[in-house]
Parts: sequence; structure tokens; C-alpha cells
Amino acid sequence: MLIVVDPHSGVPVYRQIMDQVKFHVASGLLNAGDELPSTRALSSELGINPMTISKAYSYLEREGVVERRPGRPLVVKAFETNQIHDNRINQLRESLAATVTIAKQLGIRNDEAIAVFRELLENEANPQAPDNEGKEQS
Amino acid sequence: MSIIEFNNIHRAYKRGIDVLRGVSFSLEKGEVVGLLGKNGAGKTTLMRIAMGMIEPQKGIVSLFGLGPRDEPIQVKRRVGYVSEDQILPEFLRVREVIQLHRGLFPTWDEALEHDLCKRFSLPLNAKIRSLSKGQARQVALLCAVSHRPELLLLDEPAGGLDPAARREFLETSIQMLNETGTTILFSSHYMSDVERLAGRVVMIHEGGVLIDSDIDLLREGHSLVLVPHAPKVTRDALLSIEGCIGVRDRSDAMHAVFRCQPRDALDRVARQFGSTGARHRDVALEEMFIELVGGQS
Repeated sequence: MLIVVDPHSGVPVYRQIMDQVKFHVASGLLNAGDELPSTRALSSELGINPMTISKAYSYLEREGVVERRPGRPLVVKAFETNQIHDNRINQLRESLAATVTIAKQLGIRNDEAIAVFRELLENEANPQAPDNEGKEQS
Repeated sequence: MSIIEFNNIHRAYKRGIDVLRGVSFSLEKGEVVGLLGKNGAGKTTLMRIAMGMIEPQKGIVSLFGLGPRDEPIQVKRRVGYVSEDQILPEFLRVREVIQLHRGLFPTWDEALEHDLCKRFSLPLNAKIRSLSKGQARQVALLCAVSHRPELLLLDEPAGGLDPAARREFLETSIQMLNETGTTILFSSHYMSDVERLAGRVVMIHEGGVLIDSDIDLLREGHSLVLVPHAPKVTRDALLSIEGCIGVRDRSDAMHAVFRCQPRDALDRVARQFGSTGARHRDVALEEMFIELVGGQS
């Protein structure tokens, strides 16, 4: 499992770990039943206080992403197919929240912001689309 | 019972300059606390008081419920100490320094000693005086942890070390945490080490404890707002906003630290100045440190 911690980022380390595990689950890199490394192992690997790892793990457990079984490693919880989709939507929602803040601060109207999002999505789907502005973005 | 407790510690130097004026905090078992403060804030003084090397003029320090000057042997057997300016006997060989320590500590773990000798690639037959700064510090660390102390006091342990040696230091400390549940009090100017290792930070400023907080709560309870330069966006105007605790004028924007959630901070900035294009950034510990104590970190 690839987890990278950036102690300069300003995002608390436990949240960085949680976000990456959730991302791996949502993107399918981690599947139901996959084991997470032990607190100790991940702590030594990342050079991070083991308490920080436990904190990330227990929040992940509380959010229902992983489950603890007595005396065994933590495993990724089984999801219904539609739940996997929900998770992906949630990931997207979290990433977009920051963008919404920026749009508000820039004083951009909702319909304009939505148009920009639609435009970017459509350009991503057809990279050959004859739209110069979109090409630079993709 | 706390592993270590500082209770209302006062200490002044001969010139009559107070360094510590009533410092109180304690560490519970297994806690890792980063001790922060500007140069001269009294971090080293506090560590030395804990080791019984100097005495506070007022206040009580206790380790495992014992006074370090009342029960020096009892206390030191359970503590490991490394400082930036630690002096090892120069004329001894590495092997002899280790032997000396092995004899002093009944709980010495030879397997750990060998493990660390190997990991640090220490030249056992070399004289201490011929070692590099980094190697000497590694010998000191080996001697400080091989008896598996219940408490580690690390005073700028990584000062002057290169990144690889710093990382070794960090990993050894984490190994002690994982294997022995050692309580650690450490000071460091490397904020990234503090973010990696500490669960809690205590900041000493102007003789007292300015901040004593869980490291994540500290960060999540503060936000950094970057407000683009404009005639109305002045330092004083920013500081007059509720919750604003520090402002720095930087080339890209005014940097303002707020003691509240980012959304609230942005709302308040917008209420004060109207639409400014202000944006929020997560505050790294280093930035917060500079904002709060204004110092060279």
C-alpha cells in the first residue's frame, strides 16, 4: 500500500493517512478483505509516531472503511457495489468543496462555475475536441 | 502518576535574567512531547533541571515521582538523555564508552546494543575524538537507549546532523516507542521531525508555557488566510478582526493566522474588507510557530 506523508503540508499527518487509505479504497487499489499494515509496521516505514497511525486507523474504523477483528490485521470492509460508487462520489465531493470556496471568493456565479466544470469534463472525455482552451487544460 | 512533572519551575541566571518563570506541565506514560521555543527560551535549562544537572530556584520537578537530585541513581537508571552539546570522554574508544554504560545499567539490552552498532556502522575501535559529529551523536544515542529507558530526554538531538543521520535518529526513537512504550520529551528546530514524532507540543515563550496542545488540535484549530495586498488590507486592520493572532507581510500576500476554522476566518475577512480574493491554506507547524513567537525557527 502506497502512503506518502508530507510533514510540511499543514494537513495533520493522521488525516493525510486517512485520506490516502480512503482514496485507495475508492479507486479500487485496495479491495474488500485486503489487510492494512500493522500500526508498528507503518510507523517504522513512514517514520511516524505509532499513536498517529492508530488515530488514523481508529477514525477509518469509525467511518466504516476498515474493520478490526480481534488479534488480526485491520482489513478493508466489504462494500455493496453501489456503496463503492457512493464512496467515489464522496471523494469527488470532498475535492470539489475547496473549488467551491475558490469560486465563491472569486465572485463567480453558480451557472458560470457549473459551465466551467461541464466544459472541463467534456474536454477530458474527448481530448481531440477542437477547443484550444480545453486542450491546454487536459 | 506522571512519568515526568514540572511544577511551577523558576530559574534565573546570575545576571538576574529570568529564563523560566513558572513552567508547569507533565507527561503521561507513552506520550511524545515536542518542546518548542525560540533560542534562549529555556528548553535546555528545563531538560537539565529534569536531569538534576541544575536546580530550579523555585518549583518541583519529579520523574516517576522521584526528585532527580534526591534519588539520582534511581532516576538515571530509568532515563536516557541526549543533548546537542553532550560530551563523551574523547580519549576512550567507542567500545569502551559502550562498556562503561553497559556496566551502569542493570536493564541493558545487549541485543539492542548490537542491533544499533550495526545499524549506525559504528567503528568500535575508534577513539571518540576521531569520530564525526554525527557518529559521536549516534554513540550517545546508543548509550541513551540500550537500557530501554522509560523516559527519553532529547535536547536538540538532531542539531547539526545531516538528513540521513537525522532520519536514523528519528527511526531509533520510533523503535523505542514501538517496542518499549518509552515516554519522550524532545526539543528540535526541525519542525518536520516534530510533526513526525510528537503527539503533543509544549511551547515555551517569555518564561512560561504559551501553548500546550495536542498537535492535531493545534493545527485544526488554526487557519492561515492569505489576503492579497490592497491599500485597505493593513496589518492593524487584520489584527482587529476577531480571532486573528498574527500577521506577516509577505511578498505574495498578507499572511494572517486565525484561531478558528478556515470558513469562519474567510467569512470574517470578507466582512471586514468585502471581496478580496482571500484564500485559505492549511497551516504547517513551522508557520504557526513563526507567527506565534515571531522568532527565527
